[in-house]
Amino acid sequence: MTLISTWSPPPGLSTETSLPSIAPRVSWAAFWLPVAVGLGFLLFWDAAVRFSGSELFPKPLDVGRGLLELGQKGLLFKYIIASLFRVTWGFGLAALVGVPIGLVLGWYPFAHAAFNPLIQAFRPISPIAWIPVAILWFGVSDAAPIFLIFLASVFPIMVSAMAAVQNVQAVQIRAARNFGLSSGELFRKVILPATLPQILTGLRIALGVAWLVVVAAEMIAVNSGLGYLIIDSRNAGKRYDLVVAGMVLIGVIGWLLDLAMRQVERFPSVKWAYGNRGE
Amino acid sequence: MPFFRRVLPAILCWIVAITLLHMWVNLGSFTPKSGSGGSAAPFRVGFIPVTCHLTCPVTHFINDSLQEESNFEPIRFSAWPELKEAFLSEHLEATFILAPMAMALREQGVPLKIVYLGHRDGTTMMVHKDSSIRRIEDLRGKTIAVPNRFSNQRLIVFRAMRERNIPMSQVKLLEMPPPDMPAALQVKAVDAIISGEPFMAQTEMDGYGRILFLTKDVWPDFISCVLAVHEKTIRDRRADVQNLVDGIASSGKWLDQSPKHRMDAAEFTGKNYYHQDPALLSFVLSKPPDRVKYTNLRVLRKDFEEIEALALEAGVLSGKVKFDDYADPSFVPDEASIKPRNWELP
Amino acid sequence: MATAVNKGDPVKSRGGEIVSVPAVSVRDVSLTFAQGANPVQVLEKVSIDVWPGEFVCIVGPSGCGKTTLLNIIGGFQKPSQGEVFAKGSPVLGPDPRRIFIFQEGGVFPWLSVAENVGFGLSGRVPAERAQIVKHYIDMVGLNGFEKAYPRSLSGGMRQRVEIARALAAGPEVIYMDEPFGALDFFTRMKMRNDLIKIWQKEQKTILFVTHDIEEALQLADRVAVMGRRPSRMQSIVTVDLPRPRDLNAAQYLAKRDEILEILGFHHSHGQSLRETGFHPHLAHQRRNDASGG
Repeated sequence: MTLISTWSPPPGLSTETSLPSIAPRVSWAAFWLPVAVGLGFLLFWDAAVRFSGSELFPKPLDVGRGLLELGQKGLLFKYIIASLFRVTWGFGLAALVGVPIGLVLGWYPFAHAAFNPLIQAFRPISPIAWIPVAILWFGVSDAAPIFLIFLASVFPIMVSAMAAVQNVQAVQIRAARNFGLSSGELFRKVILPATLPQILTGLRIALGVAWLVVVAAEMIAVNSGLGYLIIDSRNAGKRYDLVVAGMVLIGVIGWLLDLAMRQVERFPSVKWAYGNRGE
Repeated sequence: MPFFRRVLPAILCWIVAITLLHMWVNLGSFTPKSGSGGSAAPFRVGFIPVTCHLTCPVTHFINDSLQEESNFEPIRFSAWPELKEAFLSEHLEATFILAPMAMALREQGVPLKIVYLGHRDGTTMMVHKDSSIRRIEDLRGKTIAVPNRFSNQRLIVFRAMRERNIPMSQVKLLEMPPPDMPAALQVKAVDAIISGEPFMAQTEMDGYGRILFLTKDVWPDFISCVLAVHEKTIRDRRADVQNLVDGIASSGKWLDQSPKHRMDAAEFTGKNYYHQDPALLSFVLSKPPDRVKYTNLRVLRKDFEEIEALALEAGVLSGKVKFDDYADPSFVPDEASIKPRNWELP
Repeated sequence: MATAVNKGDPVKSRGGEIVSVPAVSVRDVSLTFAQGANPVQVLEKVSIDVWPGEFVCIVGPSGCGKTTLLNIIGGFQKPSQGEVFAKGSPVLGPDPRRIFIFQEGGVFPWLSVAENVGFGLSGRVPAERAQIVKHYIDMVGLNGFEKAYPRSLSGGMRQRVEIARALAAGPEVIYMDEPFGALDFFTRMKMRNDLIKIWQKEQKTILFVTHDIEEALQLADRVAVMGRRPSRMQSIVTVDLPRPRDLNAAQYLAKRDEILEILGFHHSHGQSLRETGFHPHLAHQRRNDASGG
């Protein structure tokens, strides 16, 4: 067997090609399938309530009527805006604080060794446990639920930013340094773009957590919001239809928020990390 | 990077939009306030949606309707812990609170003073209509839900057991938030529930509850909740405190003046403050008519010493503080001079 | 025959002028890892000079430390002893005048091909940069892929991007660490061909590390042979053969056998290693003492 370098490959032979692009099959199936599953679920829910004979648990139609009632009283809009406002600020502040700190802790091993144990000790503490502290510090204003939502979101964001920095491959840092980049340029041109996808994933997860915590956060004496709706309806006696209506609204809006985040992930600056699933 | 050029402005727009919307819709920042409540420092009073605290929203509503200048602001809580914490951290100048809880806080060093009462009576013990419990003695060996260990409801159980020589160890007490009690009774998770109204009446209205006893039959002139104020507020804002007590006293008089007033109160309180069914509140306020009383709310030494003694026996208080430490009856207006509010629901 | 080039010998550069300062000069570099109680010596007094415009390959068995040596030369690691000079001045760290091409993963996945290639050109005006980028993308044969992202390129194409990026930055020296090691047979063949053509056009100094002796012989002017740990520079073989190299020529085969002998492989029964069917790629093969070869 001889390896012959006096031979050159024939002109037509492409020994390398770009990988084929697999177009995502977004067809009618992708739309109607979830709708069918949703309808199936509603039917199941209705049947389950009838079968169990419960007088308290609402059926889907009861919840629908509850939503209508809220709409007519003008509360639907008010409450949704209130909860979105608090989550926006709580989550926004968490991102503003968590991303830079996470990046710093990921990059400087000394800082990581110093602060990571403290962070990991705070992380498991449920926001509900922080309620007394929130009231003590912030009283009965919007600041208290915003604080709780901040606490719930900041840790996942920090941790994913840290991990993102630690995952930047040494090869790429070396290559960048080879081109004579200063530390500032290294951060701007390499660390930031390399960590962006993972940071965004962390943000998406944290947004889910923030929205989840909204019910607990609104247990404090605020008088608006979807979490408040649930707690208030429970306190008002038998309005479990409104309780479930609140849950439905929270679920739907949470889903829409996640959808929005996924749109952000379609930018080229983010998409590069997600493998060869086609353009 | 196009990412930042597109995403960051979008985010900024969202933040501005949601903040403005929230301020407009929920905080009323852009609508001029009726009256001129803005000039003086607010006087915040905490309450929970129970009939014990009814005078709070009633006073506020009547003030508002009469367009009287007042800096009195009721703040609603859904549970005792949050109310207690807001009061402790001085976000509230005053609050309605369970009597033994106020006394216990004073014992723990919180500088507060009880200046008025919430109402008299107004608590019932309910059992499931199918249960075999007919007399108080039948509670032996059963589970009873109480709102809080620092509540007079718990103390009344203690007193009732003591009078019948039943040791407390033969009764199981469970702390439960009042709004959860009706459901717990309906599914028979507990044998009996006792708490302030309207949660007890709800079980009656819905047909599965039966009254075992009314507190007025076991402990006459029973006190559930009191109005507590920070000592600091008493010192610095005496006039405001007096105004508040006067307002509450005359609202109470108004409530007891005629059944129609009670129905009206049920209506506007249920809709605007408690978010409870007005029919439920009407029921509580009228069947029987003396189920709950809003007059004769003086802070009397003998009433509290009775509570103290019971609490000491039950192990709820330690006896470190006395009436003069935790109460200040100087604000209570002379019963004869209290005039009911001069106001009718249009 | 193997000759070590002595320090200070004046040598002709490819351009024809006499130069006396090597492009890269390695002087008695040693490296020891402290691994627990026992220090492990990886490199022992390695020395070599690389002259401007030369194509030098470093070969050796796996684990002999040739990549480590290249990292030290590139300025990414410090030696325990010894020094590295570039054009006479000591090497203190990586430098854009000497670009390193990695075996895998050096291309930035968040940038398109064109953006990658232009990475070292941030100091230029956009028009000039675009021109240079186009030039080198053409040169490596990636026309049409300017806007593609590395994730949709094959391994060989990614290496081309890296080569283009290195060239575009206009360095004096290019270091290559087994750049074709992760590619398939055909791609490797093509890449070697193309690399020689580019080198002939650009006239860069190239220092190329590989474990593949055939590859070294196809590409290099001189082949530096390193032994097992602790590695020393066993010998430097000059390959004075015209390009493109004919792998059947007797001289070529003689050079190859020479290197194999330096590495400790023996003929058996007087046959050439090729005739015994010995596959020169088996770098793990142990010395064949026992069979009396």
